Amino acid sequence: MKSLLLILLSAGVVVAVPAAMGGYPYYMGVAVYAVVLALFGLSVNLTVGYLGYISFGHAAFFGLGAYASAMLTSYLGMNYWLTLLLAPLPGALLGVLVGFASLRVGGAYFAIATLTAAEILHILVNNLMDLTRGPLGIRVPRPKIEFLANLGIDFYQYYLGIGLLVLLLVVAGLRRLLASPIGRSWAVIKESAPLAESIGIATLRSRVLNIALSGAIAGLAGALFVPRTLVVTPELFSSGLSATGLLIAILGGKATLIGSILGGVVFAALPEALRFIEEYRMAIFALLLLLVVRIQPNGLAGLMSFRRRARAPEVATATTSSDLMFKPGEAMEVKGLSKQFGGLKAVSAVSLRFEPGETVGLIGPNGAGKTTSLSLISGFLAPSAGEVSFGGKSVSGLAPHRLARLGLVRTFQHTAICGRLSVFDNVLAAVPNTETVFTAIRGGQGYREREARRRGLAQAYLSQVGLSERAADEAGSLPYGDQKLLSIAVALAAQPKVLLLDEPAAGLNHTEARALASLLKSLRERGLTIVIVDHNLKMIMEISDRIYVLNRGESLADGSPQEVRNNPAVIEAYLGTVWNKEGVVHA
Amino acid sequence: MTWDLILQQTVNGVAHGMSLALIALGLTMVFGVLHIINFAHGELYMIGGLGLVIGMTHFHLGYVPSLALAIVAAGAIAWLVDGVGVRPLLDQKDGHSTVLLTTFAISMLLNEGALAIWGPSPVRVDGFEGLTSFGPIVVTNQRWFVIGLGLVVLIAIEFILRRTHIGKSVRAIASSAYAAEVVGVNVRKVRTITFVAAGALAGLTGGVMVPITMFTPSIGHNIIIDAFVVVVVGGMGSATGAVVCGLLVGLAQAYLSTLTSEQIGSAMVYGLLLITLLVRPTGLTGRGRA
Repeated sequence: MKSLLLILLSAGVVVAVPAAMGGYPYYMGVAVYAVVLALFGLSVNLTVGYLGYISFGHAAFFGLGAYASAMLTSYLGMNYWLTLLLAPLPGALLGVLVGFASLRVGGAYFAIATLTAAEILHILVNNLMDLTRGPLGIRVPRPKIEFLANLGIDFYQYYLGIGLLVLLLVVAGLRRLLASPIGRSWAVIKESAPLAESIGIATLRSRVLNIALSGAIAGLAGALFVPRTLVVTPELFSSGLSATGLLIAILGGKATLIGSILGGVVFAALPEALRFIEEYRMAIFALLLLLVVRIQPNGLAGLMSFRRRARAPEVATATTSSDLMFKPGEAMEVKGLSKQFGGLKAVSAVSLRFEPGETVGLIGPNGAGKTTSLSLISGFLAPSAGEVSFGGKSVSGLAPHRLARLGLVRTFQHTAICGRLSVFDNVLAAVPNTETVFTAIRGGQGYREREARRRGLAQAYLSQVGLSERAADEAGSLPYGDQKLLSIAVALAAQPKVLLLDEPAAGLNHTEARALASLLKSLRERGLTIVIVDHNLKMIMEISDRIYVLNRGESLADGSPQEVRNNPAVIEAYLGTVWNKEGVVHA
Repeated sequence: MTWDLILQQTVNGVAHGMSLALIALGLTMVFGVLHIINFAHGELYMIGGLGLVIGMTHFHLGYVPSLALAIVAAGAIAWLVDGVGVRPLLDQKDGHSTVLLTTFAISMLLNEGALAIWGPSPVRVDGFEGLTSFGPIVVTNQRWFVIGLGLVVLIAIEFILRRTHIGKSVRAIASSAYAAEVVGVNVRKVRTITFVAAGALAGLTGGVMVPITMFTPSIGHNIIIDAFVVVVVGGMGSATGAVVCGLLVGLAQAYLSTLTSEQIGSAMVYGLLLITLLVRPTGLTGRGRA
């Protein structure tokens, strides 16, 4: 019912706006330009606002779309309106290329790579005269639709109508996508890429997908711009256009859709208003960008508090406790694990074995190599030597997200949560899914049922750690102890067979540590294999079935808590035996 | 290409490469100490060029006093850039990505401001006049000056980094700002000094190159992309990488410009950046991360 209303309303906008503006081709031209810029702003925002990667060369995608459309129309004689379907492709391909090239190293490289890609294209279209006619540009005749013209509809009326339709479709698609597991992955990556990997999100693929989509939407905007300009020139690749897109996204409001639409309207109207100081226009835009970034980083949308508050989760379908039983996992075996940092041997020839369903403590003095071992096992560090196998199969060298999908999930010593997402959304983002862009946008009954099941699971994991009450709160506002518990709920939602906990009790007070211990015990009773690194020996002794002791990167001892407690080598490693004259401990 | 042409382009390429080395060195030093990429770095080169032009054509100063003006102007603007767009943001959450935006906005502001006030037409000024010829190969005195001064500056920077107190502070912060702070290095002050010094160096480079290339407001935009190619290929944060790759990129552009047009040659060199990122994302020296 609600969606039917929306469709009717949208159809109304697409028809009514051009109808109302009939007879004012100048204003319709500005309105079309606003639609083009809004699309362009949305594409920039997808990357800058939702993924957190800044692009200084989005004009490259825009220009590619415009050139693709113009070339198909004027060289191959294709109907312009059909080129709108093909024009996004080159932008998407460039997005894959630039994204894959730069995202492995870091955000600043993405900014550099996009700037450079736009510059290369700017030079090429200026110089490849045979293909692009250089600075003269490619002329495209006004693409009239005879049928509509015969009905007495002005060219600009149906051009604007089609533009609005495209914009509405893109916005509707993006809304669904951003609310889907795919959008949630981007939100986690934006806050912490290692966290995303640890809960099974393929971060590189997910980021490249985002850039490719952004490139496609920018390309679509470029193609839609063609009938407005009628001459496609190299200026479409200029850094000024890239900056305008960035300014629309940021002035409008990062990570809001309505903001980019507002921004598009503002920047379509602004050049008209600033016509009397045309030569200062870009300088004013630059100053505006600087001011917005420094003074109002949330943009117009932030000013008008359009930003969505964390939604209280709808009460999810009750998930029975049997869903939360952990399947009996496989044994995990680590053989001869070594890691060298330069001349330092952080871990050497450590062998460990975790049987299904047991809780194993990994202890040792500072610098023993506990956390390094955990990072090696979970794929965050590549071992110098050694073998990790899980259920009899070698899993050495797999990326962290692949290991997480196999059931090997870790947490971090420095609590990693998405502080700006709600507590509930933190957990929800970790629930495994197999959605694609296509299934997420299509929606439908099956998709809604799968989403409901995921929400139910998230709810259940949250209540497992006792945080249901705080589901709607911003995760960053939780007290430290609750954040630790939340990070465990997040790890549980990723559905581990083996849970690797890196110092979960660090920084917790006595009561909080007790609560943690009883949580871990109850998880063990449900069949989860737990490996825990911590300095809280009392807790480790209490909950562990077996304990491995590491010292200076090597295995020192292993056995039941009782055996380890009485092992002289362990006592020596922890307390030292030789006291010098000043009474200082020598280990 | 004939041998004469190759030799001629080698000399030209070394002079051009020296300027790229100096620009890239400033960029990479700022990265090493502040862990940011200064997108406005190229515009400080442009400001240096503009300072020189204003000194010589408006104040009718000689070349050397105008060069001093270029250095001071670029250093002063760098200090402003640091105060407005860098220093206040460094310790904020997400500060490093915000600095990308502020320095990008400032670079556009400087570029478009110069364009609006100065206009796009190129301006020619003379530096050291005269030339030396070896048979068919001609080297202008200005190019000798660029090569010689570049060497002197590189040696001076090496000396400062190794031997002086401030240089040691810079190296300490580059390896760990936290540890440097603990042992009493004034991290904020050293950051600002590094940023301004890198800016003044860019201004100096602009001042020595403009008599060769002529001045337009767009020279900053062109050189920053060259400099990005140099630092990405050479490895972000590596001084040796910046100098070696600066010279190599200068030579590559000089040779390519005779094989094809200068612009297409530039596009091919820019392509190196993307290829490096695809094949060996941490650059040839393999250290940098951003």
